Amino acid sequence: MSLKSLTKAWEPMSYGFLDASAKREIRRKMLKAIAVPGCQIPYASREVPMARGWGTGGLQISCTLLNPKTTIKVIDQGADDSVNAASIRRFLAGVSGAPTTTDTLKADLIQSRHRIPEEILREDQVLVLQVPNPEPLRPVQPNMSIARQMHADADYGRMWLQLYEQIVRSGRVMQGASYPSLVNGRFVMTPSPIPRWDVPKMHMAKHLTILSAGREKRLHAVPPFTKVEPLVFDDVPYKVEDHGAHVCTRSGAKGYFMNEIPQDDGPSTFEVSDSELGVKSIHRADGEAVQIGETWYKNGEMTE
Amino acid sequence: MQTPAPSDFETQTNATYDALMWALSRPGMARKLPVAGQASLIAALIDRECAIFSDDVHLMQIAAQAGAQIVAQNDADHLFLSATPDPSILSVLRQGTDIYPEDGATLVMPAVIGHGMALRLTGPGVDGAVSIKIDGIPDAFWTARRDVMRYPMGFDIFIIDQDQIIGIPRSTAIEVL
Repeated sequence: MSLKSLTKAWEPMSYGFLDASAKREIRRKMLKAIAVPGCQIPYASREVPMARGWGTGGLQISCTLLNPKTTIKVIDQGADDSVNAASIRRFLAGVSGAPTTTDTLKADLIQSRHRIPEEILREDQVLVLQVPNPEPLRPVQPNMSIARQMHADADYGRMWLQLYEQIVRSGRVMQGASYPSLVNGRFVMTPSPIPRWDVPKMHMAKHLTILSAGREKRLHAVPPFTKVEPLVFDDVPYKVEDHGAHVCTRSGAKGYFMNEIPQDDGPSTFEVSDSELGVKSIHRADGEAVQIGETWYKNGEMTE
Repeated sequence: MQTPAPSDFETQTNATYDALMWALSRPGMARKLPVAGQASLIAALIDRECAIFSDDVHLMQIAAQAGAQIVAQNDADHLFLSATPDPSILSVLRQGTDIYPEDGATLVMPAVIGHGMALRLTGPGVDGAVSIKIDGIPDAFWTARRDVMRYPMGFDIFIIDQDQIIGIPRSTAIEVL
């Protein structure tokens, strides 16, 4: 054994920012997360040059998966150009030399905050979702040790009670984002604060989804072709946001999830939330040849 | 800022993990490892936080070099085997607990992919059902696997044939045809 065999060659910084041991730990935990869909797996959650709660969980997954051939897309609430998305994208490209894109169809790795793109993801794409609170039971059980025991026992009665109380008080389920969903018939997970609109996209999807909470130091995964069922009562069907009739004022796109823009004089206008889909729609309206992939929703209705 | 270039080690472990991740995400679909053999898995996954078992002296040395603790089969979080183990071993493997299912072991073993006994896989990651052929793993192994595991507790299996790898997570149900 020589000294050289015990050390590694000097590098100015680790490729992809995280050092090799951090990556190995995340890899091991990701494999277990895939093997037990929806189960929250604790991980070390290293420091990254960004404040916890701003996407550090997703960032660590992306840093681990990246190589110079991975095309990255980063979105924040559907937009490629918001500050959070732009700076994460720049960071990932800077530490890896990976190409970036805004086109969902060209991306290999999509890191997202709170939206799933409207175009159907392929079976070679990975969606990394940033998760602020990975524990769906927290509103009903703040003690995380007890909550973990409840997951172990598949004791989700209080989740149902919470939904029932919402229906009794308000006439409908009030959960707007991070709708609790049963994965593979066993674990209730939070799909991260994506709108109800996006939850059905996870059900039996072709792509791999990895959800990572950096501040809470847990990750979970939804493998391809895995059942993701929002918790609903038989007689109160799951309803997505009623955006089917809204038309985007900038691109003319219709039947997708919209951002509501309140106007000074009272009413609202709408803008398609998936910004790249909006850009593509504008280009297409201008007569340019753009490729818009198949979308999960057509005219506001979920296909399949 | 200067963009760092990946070292050969980083390139290889990244590609190895990519194969492992997709192998486990799509059970039954063979993926290609950048380098044949189990040593590449040790490079991508194993360090001093791991407790491993191997019946192959060479692999054991590589894992020890990586810092892993060498332990008995029933304590190992990763097992690198040179042949299909006796089915009775499966009942002593780490399966985690209902509270921490991720403590279950990862079993890596060789077999011939594409020939032999037909298996029908169903579960997460499988579009309906998929049939694969694996040679060198007896019927009793799959029966024992089914009998000893109680989801979400369990162990996950990687089957390696040269540079081909198939992942079988605990969530996959296997029917011997």
